[in-house]
Amino acid sequence: MTDNQNAAATCLDETQFDVMVIGAGIAGAESALKLGDMGYKVLLVEKEPSIGGKMILLSKVFPTLDCAACITTPKVSETARHPNITIHTLTEVETIQRNSDRHFSVQLNKKPRYVVEKDCTGCQECENVCPVITKDQFQFNLTARKAVYIPFNIANPRIALIDIENCMLCGACEKACPSNCIDFTQKEQQLQITAKSVIVATGFKLFDPISIERYGYGRYKNVITSMQMERELAPTRPFNNVLRPSDGKIPDKIAYVFCTGSRDHTVGNPICSQVCCMYSTKQAQLLMGALPMADISLYYINIRAFGKGYNEFYLQAKDMGANYVKGKIGKITEKENGNLILRFEDILTGKVTEKEHDMVVLSVGLLANPAITKVFKGEKLELDPINYVQQPNMLQSPAQTSLEGVFVAGTATGPMDIPDTIMSAGAAATETSSYLKRLS
Amino acid sequence: MEKKEKTIDIIKQERKVSPQVLEDRKTYSRNRKAIMEALKAGPKTIPQVAAETQLSLPDATYFMMALFKFGDVVVESLDDMDEYYFYELKKK
Repeated sequence: MTDNQNAAATCLDETQFDVMVIGAGIAGAESALKLGDMGYKVLLVEKEPSIGGKMILLSKVFPTLDCAACITTPKVSETARHPNITIHTLTEVETIQRNSDRHFSVQLNKKPRYVVEKDCTGCQECENVCPVITKDQFQFNLTARKAVYIPFNIANPRIALIDIENCMLCGACEKACPSNCIDFTQKEQQLQITAKSVIVATGFKLFDPISIERYGYGRYKNVITSMQMERELAPTRPFNNVLRPSDGKIPDKIAYVFCTGSRDHTVGNPICSQVCCMYSTKQAQLLMGALPMADISLYYINIRAFGKGYNEFYLQAKDMGANYVKGKIGKITEKENGNLILRFEDILTGKVTEKEHDMVVLSVGLLANPAITKVFKGEKLELDPINYVQQPNMLQSPAQTSLEGVFVAGTATGPMDIPDTIMSAGAAATETSSYLKRLS
Repeated sequence: MEKKEKTIDIIKQERKVSPQVLEDRKTYSRNRKAIMEALKAGPKTIPQVAAETQLSLPDATYFMMALFKFGDVVVESLDDMDEYYFYELKKK
């Protein structure tokens, strides 16, 4: 059931749910699907204009190298079409308050799309005539998008929205739209719903390496993040191939800097992000396929290849020619031609060495996304010392939180890979179902 | 399809466009025109376009890739050193 079919949320059916899932990434979608299949009425709330979270933006997944979009899009599509699941995109939870009947009263804020969702066919005629460009956040600023845009090719729902802050109000989109679906009169809507239980699936934030000045991110165009490289490798990539953002050159000496913003007390994130070693290894394999002549060097502190098939995947990358260097990067400097000099300590020899690369990828870590705690009124959702949602009974009931009836799924509990996220989401659905049965 | 009243006039009474948005629109328009003009003579690499248009290399890359995304330019071939692509205007 899409936004279109329930945007008004006026009748009783559309305001009362068994479960509200916050966050429609892969964890939230999986929990919603499992509960929907069990027959529960689920509300899935997503602040972005598309569901699918970060996974839908990935190139491939490790260690199988399956296409991420090919895995995500059927799941996302199934979620959007499920008769027991109602989805609100561009919507944020403002408050959650427990009632005397143990149900939750929830206030939602739905932002305007300025497009009548049920009428938009995704034809992109509005995009073609829009005269304004701005940085494309779904391509991590590597390229531009129009002020009226469809977030990305496989977005769900695949309908346009207007970035009103960057719109010059020329009206060209409204004139060009063949289905007359542009509507500048749309306003923010406050929706009031009740839910018997809540699943927090708010995911993680990516570390912003701009705070590590010595790496030069933000100043040196050819220092990019792993998520930007992920986009360069994806089928819906920003460029026509893997290119340097400074001059469009095909890079032939690429370096990865592991543990950027993780296992680092100085940036406030002392824990391992669990996935950086493996996603970097995956990207190295993909780069060796896309750019067969390229040298790929990966500067690491320790390799953590703990999952099923992960160590073999790492060894496979080494066999393919990836150069793993046990070294800690001190500083990156830029040459006039855009190449980058990495100054690092070779941990095995103890020597400080310098090496030139023409592109550097920072393997950024995962951070907690604790903002959701603020919406609970009258009670507190406890966090662990790293700011992830606390699991008071992690071994026996991993989805349980400090609040009765509130469960947690996926990376809201801590860094984890996609298989673990899916399992965590399944556990959250099961525990929620068990709770709902006890409640009734 | 039922014709409805244009809503742009309504929002224009409520909102003002920021000067930055207008400036960005001018920059895009100017750079788009310069790149399209440079490519009229034939396919060029990004450094060649940057040299001809006086754009910085990162700006030439950003705007060329925007024009590639919006379907104004296409890839023609790779240079002899396998370093840079040649881009040309899309035949319409």
